[in-house]
Amino acid sequence: MSSQESTQRSKPASYTTPDPIVEIRDAEVYFEMDRGVSRVLDNVSVDIERNEILGVVGESGSGKSMLASAMLDAVVDPGILEGTITYRPDSETAIDVLSVSKDELRKLRWEEISMVFQGAMSSFNPTMKVGGHFEETLKAHDYDVGEGMERARELLADLYLQPERVLESFPHELSGGMQQRALIALSVVLEPNVLVMDEPTAALDLLMQRSILSLLETLKEKYELSIVFITHDLPLIAELADRLAVMYAFELVEIGPSEEILRDAAHPYTRSLLNSTPNLDAPLSEMKAIEGAAPDPVNVPDGCSYHPRCPLADEECVAEDPDWRPTFTDEHQVGCFHWDQAADAIPFNIDNQGGER
Amino acid sequence: MALFTVWAVATLTFAMIRAMPGGPVERMVQEIATQNPAMSRREINAMVEQRLSIDPDETLTEAYISYMSGLARGDLGESTFYSDSVAEIIIQSLPWTAFVMSISILGMFILGIGLGALMAYKEGSTFDVGSSVVAIFLSSVPYYIAAIALIYVLALEWSVFPLSGRYARDVTPGFSLEFMASALYHATLPAASFIITAWGGFALGMRGNSIQVLGQDYIRVARLRGLSDRRIALRYVGRNAILPMWTSFLIIIGFMFGASIILEEIFSYRGIGFYMFDSIDRRDYPVMMGTFLVITVSVVISVLIADLTYGKIDPRVSEGGKDESY
Repeated sequence: MSSQESTQRSKPASYTTPDPIVEIRDAEVYFEMDRGVSRVLDNVSVDIERNEILGVVGESGSGKSMLASAMLDAVVDPGILEGTITYRPDSETAIDVLSVSKDELRKLRWEEISMVFQGAMSSFNPTMKVGGHFEETLKAHDYDVGEGMERARELLADLYLQPERVLESFPHELSGGMQQRALIALSVVLEPNVLVMDEPTAALDLLMQRSILSLLETLKEKYELSIVFITHDLPLIAELADRLAVMYAFELVEIGPSEEILRDAAHPYTRSLLNSTPNLDAPLSEMKAIEGAAPDPVNVPDGCSYHPRCPLADEECVAEDPDWRPTFTDEHQVGCFHWDQAADAIPFNIDNQGGER
Repeated sequence: MALFTVWAVATLTFAMIRAMPGGPVERMVQEIATQNPAMSRREINAMVEQRLSIDPDETLTEAYISYMSGLARGDLGESTFYSDSVAEIIIQSLPWTAFVMSISILGMFILGIGLGALMAYKEGSTFDVGSSVVAIFLSSVPYYIAAIALIYVLALEWSVFPLSGRYARDVTPGFSLEFMASALYHATLPAASFIITAWGGFALGMRGNSIQVLGQDYIRVARLRGLSDRRIALRYVGRNAILPMWTSFLIIIGFMFGASIILEEIFSYRGIGFYMFDSIDRRDYPVMMGTFLVITVSVVISVLIADLTYGKIDPRVSEGGKDESY
């Protein structure tokens, strides 16, 4: 606790969007452990704009999944979630996700905000047919089952699956990619407005990842979804997402329109992350790992949490946690004192990031 | 395979029973000799042969062949002590053993599965720790010790339950409510000794399986999907946690047949185990063979059923036979 006490964590409200469907303010998740408080989501504030795809990128263990769970108030026990999360089904109504009753929360989840987990293989009950999962979900939410199953078939067909075959199968009879697509269909069957996807393509091969991404775009248009797509694979999501948010050490460090981040990444971490990402076109010698290791959630460095690994770090970075500040445009915000020097200090190893297609 | 097992067991049993010191012939010869010291050895032999329908001079091979051919025809022979055929004795006693076993299995299943699941849901609580201790303690008590303790306390000291027998003497057997109540009353203590000592194993197994299932992603997804707790407990946790126990559940039936030998002796409960114990005492070869075979066949059948039905209840297994996917 004490190490965080000294840290300034107030960041100005300049990360807002005009018509947000979900507003996350000062979201914090912590676990109390024997060796201290493990803060796995640290004061994260972000808006999800209606009908956008927001990509959340970060390395393993940077708090991405916690952010995803927080949006459904589904942080696993004994984790404690604090802050405010506001869901706006339309511009007038606002629902405080963290203070609704148990019954309302049950309705909110899946009907309004739905989620696709990493590892579809373990998201289905192994002793129940895939179709059974659809039916019980519809029944649990008092939806018309016949109509809902019609929609399920359509969804599966949209995802290039044979509806009857998939619904009649047990989960183990489907391939990983089929299960993942079936899970996406299951998460959309109640026609939610927001779909949170936590590494939905992690266990799949590259070809399947690509095809699922392109299916998502179609799905988003057809069902008017706002999507939060969480991944560690920056180039993968960059093409799909409208905006990107970069997470490091359990907080957001940069947010902005995808092309801008790819072209003019302003945070040293984002730039290093882009440089470290394997790319088929890049020779192995040009891929650079980021020196050092991600911080321990019990003991995050004072000041800017990235300073121990940052080539630009000085006393200011050690002493103080940088506020959000606009960079080249107002929508592109970064939490770094020296963002204007980042491009010179950490040049992209090949000039392919901006023009990557 | 199952048939071979039965044959092998029949042969082994036959050999072992004949290898036991002393036999029905010696026993009876001795008996007659002490009663009629004047009789000659030949006269005694003839008398014994007539009474036992066993030729004392028959060689082991001849006896084996005649017994096995009888067995193949479904003839289990005649008891050397009772005047009934072995088949008759089995028909008379087997339903009683099956009755006690059904109650026991039902009881330990409900108690074990129910408490085990509850313990898993409240993992780490006082209830969980307390039940685990009790379960471990009770499963380490042998059933016959529990039986003796139950008899002593509930039958001898408090006289709440009958000491022995299958039903009260003044009740006539039949499909009357009175008879069934009496039978159930008499079966309570034998069944309780099984239940008390065996539920703990089930509960601990169920607890472990349930905790494992509760940690699965699909449980979390099911909760987020808004399914009722009841449905998650039954269709998700229950179903997936009971599956691995199915096989051990049917195999315990075999164990219980074996255990019935001692248990029914303790309670003087005239089931198949009682007759088996009795026949060993009297060197009653045919009854010994017959009851032993019934127990063997039951075990083989229950293991066979366990094997064959597992694929029916677990969809992942039924596929395996068809396409060898794993």
